[in-house]
Amino acid sequence: MGVVNKVVNWARARSPWLLHFENGGCNGCAIEILAALMPRYDLERFGAVVKGSPRHADILLVTGAVNRQIRDRLIRIYEQMPEPKFVVAVGTCACSGGIFNGCYNAYQGAASVIPVTAYIMGCPPKPEAIILGAYTLVQKIRGG
Amino acid sequence: MSSSQEESLVENLKALFKDNVLETKLPMSRRLFVAVSPDVYEDVIKFLVKEKQVTHLSTMTGMDLGEKIEVLSHFFGLGMEITIRVAVPKEKPEIKSIVSIVPGAVFYEREIHDLLGVTFIGHPDLARLVLSEDWPEGEYPLRRDYKVQPPKPLREV
Repeated sequence: MGVVNKVVNWARARSPWLLHFENGGCNGCAIEILAALMPRYDLERFGAVVKGSPRHADILLVTGAVNRQIRDRLIRIYEQMPEPKFVVAVGTCACSGGIFNGCYNAYQGAASVIPVTAYIMGCPPKPEAIILGAYTLVQKIRGG
Repeated sequence: MSSSQEESLVENLKALFKDNVLETKLPMSRRLFVAVSPDVYEDVIKFLVKEKQVTHLSTMTGMDLGEKIEVLSHFFGLGMEITIRVAVPKEKPEIKSIVSIVPGAVFYEREIHDLLGVTFIGHPDLARLVLSEDWPEGEYPLRRDYKVQPPKPLREV
């Protein structure tokens, strides 16, 4: 790995900007993500900031079950993100479909639509679990 | 008190619509089920809304009975919950829309059209409501003969 790459990865791992995308769920995971970002758990100490646009984001946080209607929107948002991009499936619904698994309009997890880098299980996952997932992903980015 | 409000409404409906009132059920106080034939369905709703001032449509639901599809309109009024049931044949599931009488029925009828395939004649716009835009025509997921299967994944997991 060259020196430039090392510097870029160092910078990238210290400012993972997030985009949160809620597919079609109960908002439980969304609340936990917000709880993780708020001062009590303070995910922002790792440099994570929630952005309003996919064009500014490095990490896409996917929550909720991916259904047929939202599928194309999710793909479009994923394609708008600049490389390198990472997708984290937060919650059981985004990981495997959860209780909607086998339903006529729900995909069995976000991974059947877009490539997913990390999975955070739980219904909803605790803020600690989200922080551990984010930390593990950042470690991965740092490694190159 | 000679007869309860529920019973007097039943008598009222039977006097007006005679044999077209197929079945009435009073499982408990303040709960009334009335099954009517499709010919008078609109008139029964009109009678309830215009004459009896039962204007609150709680919801509308649908059910697959096998040979027929039932449309249930749940009204709240006169201190009770009134359910008007009407069954339409599955080969030709058509019923008159009640949007002209109860404007709030517009979304409920679209939902039933989506999931059970009942066509409401006179509805202003029976566009898709709950199913996705790419849903195949003629497939109704809440019918009993529908084979439930999840959509095919777009990529290998």
